[in-house]
Amino acid sequence: MISLQTVFIAFFGIATIGFGILVFRTSSMVRSALALLFSQTALGAMFLAMQAEFLGVLQIMMMATEMSIMAIFMVMFMMDPGGLGAMEMSHQKRLSILAGVVGALATAGIALFTPWGVVVNVAPPAAEQIRALGTELLGRSMLIFETAGVTILTAMIAATAVALPALQRKRNA
Amino acid sequence: MNTLVIVLSLLAGAYLVAVLEAWLATGRFRLAAPAWAAVALLGRESIVPRTPDRIFFETAPVLLLVVALLVSAVLPLSPGLIIADMTTGALFVNAVLAYVPVALLMAGWGPNGGYALVGGWRFLGQTIAYSMLIVMPITAVAMRAESLLTTAVVTSQGAVWNIVYQPLGFVLFFTAAMAVSFLPPFDLPTAGGELAGGVEAEYTGVRLGVFRLGRMVLVVSLAAVTTVFYLGGWMGPVLPPWAWSAIKILAVSSTMLLTGHYLPRIREAHLLAWCWKLGIPLALLNIFIVGVMVLIWP
Amino acid sequence: MSPDLLLALFTGAALFGVGIYGALSQTNLVMIMMGVELILAGALVNLVAFWRFLHPDSYAGQMFVLIVMTVMALEMAVGFGVAIARFRARGSVEMEEATELQG
Repeated sequence: MISLQTVFIAFFGIATIGFGILVFRTSSMVRSALALLFSQTALGAMFLAMQAEFLGVLQIMMMATEMSIMAIFMVMFMMDPGGLGAMEMSHQKRLSILAGVVGALATAGIALFTPWGVVVNVAPPAAEQIRALGTELLGRSMLIFETAGVTILTAMIAATAVALPALQRKRNA
Repeated sequence: MNTLVIVLSLLAGAYLVAVLEAWLATGRFRLAAPAWAAVALLGRESIVPRTPDRIFFETAPVLLLVVALLVSAVLPLSPGLIIADMTTGALFVNAVLAYVPVALLMAGWGPNGGYALVGGWRFLGQTIAYSMLIVMPITAVAMRAESLLTTAVVTSQGAVWNIVYQPLGFVLFFTAAMAVSFLPPFDLPTAGGELAGGVEAEYTGVRLGVFRLGRMVLVVSLAAVTTVFYLGGWMGPVLPPWAWSAIKILAVSSTMLLTGHYLPRIREAHLLAWCWKLGIPLALLNIFIVGVMVLIWP
Repeated sequence: MSPDLLLALFTGAALFGVGIYGALSQTNLVMIMMGVELILAGALVNLVAFWRFLHPDSYAGQMFVLIVMTVMALEMAVGFGVAIARFRARGSVEMEEATELQG
């Protein structure tokens, strides 16, 4: 008996993987970035299918802006962003394919042969999830969350400092 | 049923907004103007530029329209009149609005034209400026409602509307909403007279029609978001709830259009500077003030 | 054994494999970052699946997902910072040319 949930999880899973493969199959950089975006969006939809509503919507929201910004950086930094010149942009192809397949098979094997124990079939309702996640964030996991916040701040400062042009850095110092 | 009613009222609202925009642009009030413009667009040849990115070129106008319609899916127009009362409604509004820049980026990249490309990337810069000003005021609204449900947001404003309770948040959100729907003075991606239409430059015929319709629906949807989050949604005396929703949405959208009409277009660098140096601190201050107020006077 | 859990874990495994392929085969820094994003996405699916099907009553799982999302954003920010700096200094972010530290 295949439930609707299984169908949705499979559908969005296939969509995610398909778009993920498409990222490296196209030579147009904007297509590549947007394929990654749709891969992540399908992932968000898959979270929704797994009844993690808050995380799904959050994933869909965060990735849109992130991948659009990715697109502009791709166009800035690639030699052939339009992909009209059919430039070769990969190396050590056989090794990479081998590593990818071995990695995927190994993880899938682990997933298949690990005794996962009892599977729970009922998820808590969405409203309760959000409340409990908030309590978790500001309760037991507060320190971890604070650390994440401070890490974001550090990364922002570091990224800006690295990206500033050398001349301007000297003038401001 | 609800879906049909909401989509039809959105389209009607978009039509009225188009009438208003034409009135502001030409100085003459003609109720049939958008209809004739639409017929003219449908009849015109749909030119496809040379070597376009065909997928993006075709998807972009449709994506804009879909995004604009999806925003309104979680907004209640009167008690019970809502397509999907999602538990994460307020977050869903954010999530969907994040796809407006994706649509414009596609529209900019797709047709393989210089002006369109500049327009598309410009809107990405604009996104970085306004996106925090969408998220943070909505956070404050959800804090007062103690829920992400949009219906709970409306009922939380029973005593005092949010526009009075958190005026700072309203001003920030209103500005950001104008920036999302690239209305003047934030019309950087289309910028008539400077970019020759920007992202719209290479679109003609039916595709341009869909694009313009999507933009109009987006304006109405954002007015509806402002109404639900700050103006008490369907609440009001005497008149039935749906009438109050309609009046408020139209009032907000015409205020948006009028404000833009009397302001000069902002420069991209200035927009970024103001949003990040002034807007975000104010938004954080707003969250702090609302947090204190929720504790002492809910 | 539930098919849903297995499906989700297989999706994660496939994303991991695609990400590994991308990170190893691409010559451009930005494309490599895309591969890393995919690997992290694979981790995300697994975390959500573990929370949903094994421990739906413990919200540390959802918390972990939030942390991984943060890591994704940070990876982007720092990666682009490095990319900008390298592009300013060398005029390209092609990794075949980045041989300064090669012995």
